[in-house]
Amino acid sequence: MNSSIVSFLSEMTNFEFTSLHAFIIFGIACFLMVNVSALIGGLGTYAERKISADLQMRQGPNRVGPFGILQFLADGVKLLLKEIIIPTQADKVLFLISPLLCLAGVFATLAVLPISSGLILTDLNIGILYVLGVSSLVGVGIFLGGYSSNSKWSMLGGMRGAAQIISYEVPVTLCIISIVLMAGGLSMTTLVNEQGGLPHQWYILHNPFAFIGFFVFFIGILAESNRAPFDLPEAESELVSGYHTEYSGMAFSFFALAEYIEVFVLCGISATLYLGGYKVPFELGSGELINSTLGGPEFIGKGIGQLLQLGAFFTKTFLLYYVVIWIRWTLPRLRVDQLVSLCWKYLTPISIINLIGIAAWEWIFKGQSIFNLIASLLHSSGGGGH
Amino acid sequence: MFIDIMFILSALLTLGGAFGVVASKNIMHACIYLLGSLFGVAGLYATLGADFLAAMQLVVYAGGIIILMLFAIMLTGGHKEAVNKFGLDKIPSMGSVKTFLIGSFSSLIIGSVVLKIIASIINSHDGSGKLPEFSSSVEKIGTLLVTDHVLSFEISSVLLLGALVGAAVISRPRKQ
Repeated sequence: MNSSIVSFLSEMTNFEFTSLHAFIIFGIACFLMVNVSALIGGLGTYAERKISADLQMRQGPNRVGPFGILQFLADGVKLLLKEIIIPTQADKVLFLISPLLCLAGVFATLAVLPISSGLILTDLNIGILYVLGVSSLVGVGIFLGGYSSNSKWSMLGGMRGAAQIISYEVPVTLCIISIVLMAGGLSMTTLVNEQGGLPHQWYILHNPFAFIGFFVFFIGILAESNRAPFDLPEAESELVSGYHTEYSGMAFSFFALAEYIEVFVLCGISATLYLGGYKVPFELGSGELINSTLGGPEFIGKGIGQLLQLGAFFTKTFLLYYVVIWIRWTLPRLRVDQLVSLCWKYLTPISIINLIGIAAWEWIFKGQSIFNLIASLLHSSGGGGH
Repeated sequence: MFIDIMFILSALLTLGGAFGVVASKNIMHACIYLLGSLFGVAGLYATLGADFLAAMQLVVYAGGIIILMLFAIMLTGGHKEAVNKFGLDKIPSMGSVKTFLIGSFSSLIIGSVVLKIIASIINSHDGSGKLPEFSSSVEKIGTLLVTDHVLSFEISSVLLLGALVGAAVISRPRKQ
């Protein structure tokens, strides 16, 4: 059976769920997941403002709630109350659909995000391909948002957004394929389980190619989520606000929310692919060690294990999230020609070489990581060693 | 039961999208209907157990092809040039009856010659090499692609290489 939230709960409580129970539990889990991710997206805007303020020696939001942490709620209420103004010349249906497409594409990727070994909505055996597939809806949404507004700035922003997203999909996909080569499976739990809890067991330190691959992948996801220094689709200095210039109210906030949640999801996926995902050192996540040392009922150990896994996943993801925001407020925006040449002249060849290199590595060293090789080398030459 | 409902919904989405593509007057709307229809096809694949195919459908068609189509529509003029009082006759059709006839005959002849040549290879497979049981459709597709269907795999890769070279030739800056 596929591991998912339903099968995990069934295992925890020793209770056989009928299909109706499974359906209801799944529905509740999806509801919670979407809402929590929306909360994370909202807090993302707060984090962005606070971190940028920190980097620029300002205060940032500090009026609403302690340290201004409720600022995103106030913004949300304000945006809910605002009118959605549709330009007279706009393509009304597409104008209203495109923010939904963006948000739907991002929310659909949450289905396979492995937050812990128990908390994954469904473990498709094509998980990572599914992410690539549904996240492409975001590109369509951005393009249609630009087109349907019937404004020059929006149009240019939408065109740039779509071109950027489909061209950067090439290096990102090649990086993902090279990781899939190492793990030998497309499902998210396979990708995580092939890695260990300690840093030298992660794929980023598996071999030199994967180490380079992580940075290529990270640059690629920055471009795919239209974050600075790749925020050409909404370049404020040239295009007012790019593809969402004409949007207001909730339609605008859907675009913003989609961007922040997409950054979270992509950071989670890069943590999963390269940084060991939810893995906790010394197999603490399965809860067996905790049970054998502490005693007590089984579900307590498992629960603690799950909490540790959640902690590991969110720590890695939020660290990457911080780096994304840090990069945005540090680097200037690229020009279009620099963007294109970076993708096609540098990242794509590098990722193709990485793919070949990783395939060769897997073939020559039978999938052993560089630390294993060094350890076995030291072991075989041992005796005289220090 | 649940799978049946999902199948019917995907089928309705496919058919509805396809109808929308034909019936819509706005070509951008037609493209979006096509997106819906392709999603429906992906749903059909998924409900029929071909999960890898469903994901590839989403990646290739929904992600790549639709955006490229939208680009192509954007870059190739508007309504005014396409519609005149003779309808679509303003754009010359690709070839005439003569070229279509020659093309289809030559493809028939080439196809039968090629099939005649490779028939021995195809028929030589006696099913003696049993494939192991696979845990997922991805493994099965991967193994079959490089064993039984390696010819079609190679032919499609040559075709893609040809497309790449063609794109490079077309987009190359011309010398004056």
